[in-house]
Amino acid sequence: MAKFTQMLEEKVMPVAGKIAGQKHLQALRDGLILTMPLIIVGSIFLILGFIPIDSYPQFMADTFGADWLTKLLYPVNATFDIMALIAGFGIAYRLAEHYKVDPLNAGAVSVAAFILSTPYFTLFTPEGADAAIHVGGVLPMAFLGSKGLFVAIIIALFSTEIYRWVIQKNIVIKMPDGVPPSVSKSFVALFPAFLVILVVWVIRLLIEKTSFETLHNVVGKLLQEPLGALGGTLVGGLIAVLLIQLLWSTGLHGASIVGGVMGPIWLAATDANRLALQAGKEMPEVITQQFIDIFIYMGGSGATFAFAIMMLLFARSQHAKQLGRLSIGPGIFNINEPITFGAPVVMNPLLLIPFILAPLALVVTTYIGMTTGFAPKTSGIAIPWTTPPIIGGYLATGGNWRGAAMQLINLAVTFAIYYPFFKMWDKQNFESEKSAAN
Amino acid sequence: MNILLCCAAGMSTSLLVTKMEAAAKLEGIEAKIWAVSANEVKNHLDDADVLLVGPQVRYLLPQLKKTGEEKGIPVDAINPVHYGMCNGAEVLKFAKNLIGS
Repeated sequence: MAKFTQMLEEKVMPVAGKIAGQKHLQALRDGLILTMPLIIVGSIFLILGFIPIDSYPQFMADTFGADWLTKLLYPVNATFDIMALIAGFGIAYRLAEHYKVDPLNAGAVSVAAFILSTPYFTLFTPEGADAAIHVGGVLPMAFLGSKGLFVAIIIALFSTEIYRWVIQKNIVIKMPDGVPPSVSKSFVALFPAFLVILVVWVIRLLIEKTSFETLHNVVGKLLQEPLGALGGTLVGGLIAVLLIQLLWSTGLHGASIVGGVMGPIWLAATDANRLALQAGKEMPEVITQQFIDIFIYMGGSGATFAFAIMMLLFARSQHAKQLGRLSIGPGIFNINEPITFGAPVVMNPLLLIPFILAPLALVVTTYIGMTTGFAPKTSGIAIPWTTPPIIGGYLATGGNWRGAAMQLINLAVTFAIYYPFFKMWDKQNFESEKSAAN
Repeated sequence: MNILLCCAAGMSTSLLVTKMEAAAKLEGIEAKIWAVSANEVKNHLDDADVLLVGPQVRYLLPQLKKTGEEKGIPVDAINPVHYGMCNGAEVLKFAKNLIGS
C-alpha cells in the first residue's frame, strides 16, 4: 500500500498537473461552465413541463390551453438548444485570456466561425410528401445545441489559435504612404478575424465537395458519436470514475481535471435524454452528468456522505467526532474537502481503499438499477451538483421517487463499504489520542 | 488586509472563509476575506494583498504564482490538513506571514 501511494505521488501527480494545467483543456472546462447557469434555469421549466402525475397534463391543458407545453418549453429551447453557441463563445474567451489577446473579440469571431461551419438550411418533409424540401433562411436549432457541441469546441479552439497567432506574430498589412496611421491600425485589427473566417470558409467549401456535406457531419460521425458511445458504456463510466478517484487520492481535484475531457460527452448525453423526454421517447443514455454528480458522488467525490454520517453517529475518537460535525454540513451539499484533507483520505492507504471502491461500486449499482428499469434514467434535468442526496435523485429523474430510492440503496452500499475501514481508522485515532493523553 | 482564497468552484474554500473571519475577529484584525473559483481569480487579484490556493487545485500554482509576481502579490497553497480541518487561525497566520515576507 505504501508503494501504491508512492506510485500516485510520483507517477500520477506530475501527469495530472500537466493535464490540468494544459491551456486548451482548461479553456474547454472553464468555457463550458458558461452554459451551466442557463441550462439549470431551463431545467426549472423542464421540470414543470413533465411533472409525473397522471392528471397533471390534463389539468394544465384545461387551465392554460392545449398548447401549454410548447409555451412552457420556450425557455428550454432558448437555454439547452443554444449550448454549443454559448460554449463556443466561452471556450474562445477563456483561451484568448490565456494568450492575453482580447477575449471578447476572440469570442465573437469564434461564434461567427461556428455559424460559418453550420448549414443555413434544413430539410423538411411535409406530411404526405415523398421527398424532403429544402428550407432556406434558417439555422437548424439542433446544431446550435448539444449536437453541435463538439463542432463548437473544435472551432473555438481552432479559431482562437489562428486569432492569437496572427496577433502574436505581429503580422501587419503594409499600407501605402499617406494612409493615416490610425486608419491603417483599424485595418490591422481586422486581419485576425478575416483570416479565421477565410480559413473556415475554405474548409466549409471543401467539405461540401465530399459526401459529408457539413463539418457537423464530419465531427459527429468521426468524433462525437464514437466518443459518446465509449463514454456511455459501463466500462467507460468506471474508467472515468477510477481516474477521478486516483487524482483525488493524491489530493488533486479529480472531477475538475477529468471533467475537462468527459464534460462535453456527459453534457451531450444529458441533453440526448432531455430531447427524448420532450419528444416522448425512450431515454437513450444511462451515464450522464447527473448520473455522475447526483447518483455516484453523494456527499462529494468518493461518495463520502455515508462516511460523514458514521463519524457523526459512531465515532469514539475526538478527531472523528470533530470531523463529523465539521463535514456533515458541507457533505449534505456534496462538498467533502474537510474529509479528503481533514481525515485525511489523501495519501492515507487505509481510507483510500473505500474512497476508491465506493464510487466504483455505485457506478455498477446505478447502472444496473437504470438499465433493468428499477430506477428511471436521468431525464436531462440539469440540477446543480450541490443538490443534496435524496432530493437530487428525485429531481434528476424528473420527480420520480424511485430515483430517490436508488440513492438510498447507494447510500446503504457505501455505508457497508466504508464501515469496516471507518472502524479501524477511528480505533487508531482513539488509541493514539489515549496514549497522547497519558 | 485583503485575503483572497481560490479553489475549483470557490465553494469549499468558502467554508474556510467564515472560520478565518472568526479568527481575525478574535485577534482584532481588520480583514476582508473572500473565496472565488479558479477562473474568476484574475478579476479579483487587484483587490487582494495575498492569494491562498486550495490544495486540490495546486496544479494551478505555477500559473497563479507567475500572475501574482507580476502584480506583486504573494501566492501559495494552503496546508492540506489546515484546509481539511478548516483551521481558520492557522491559515490566517499563514496569510499574515506571506504578506509580511
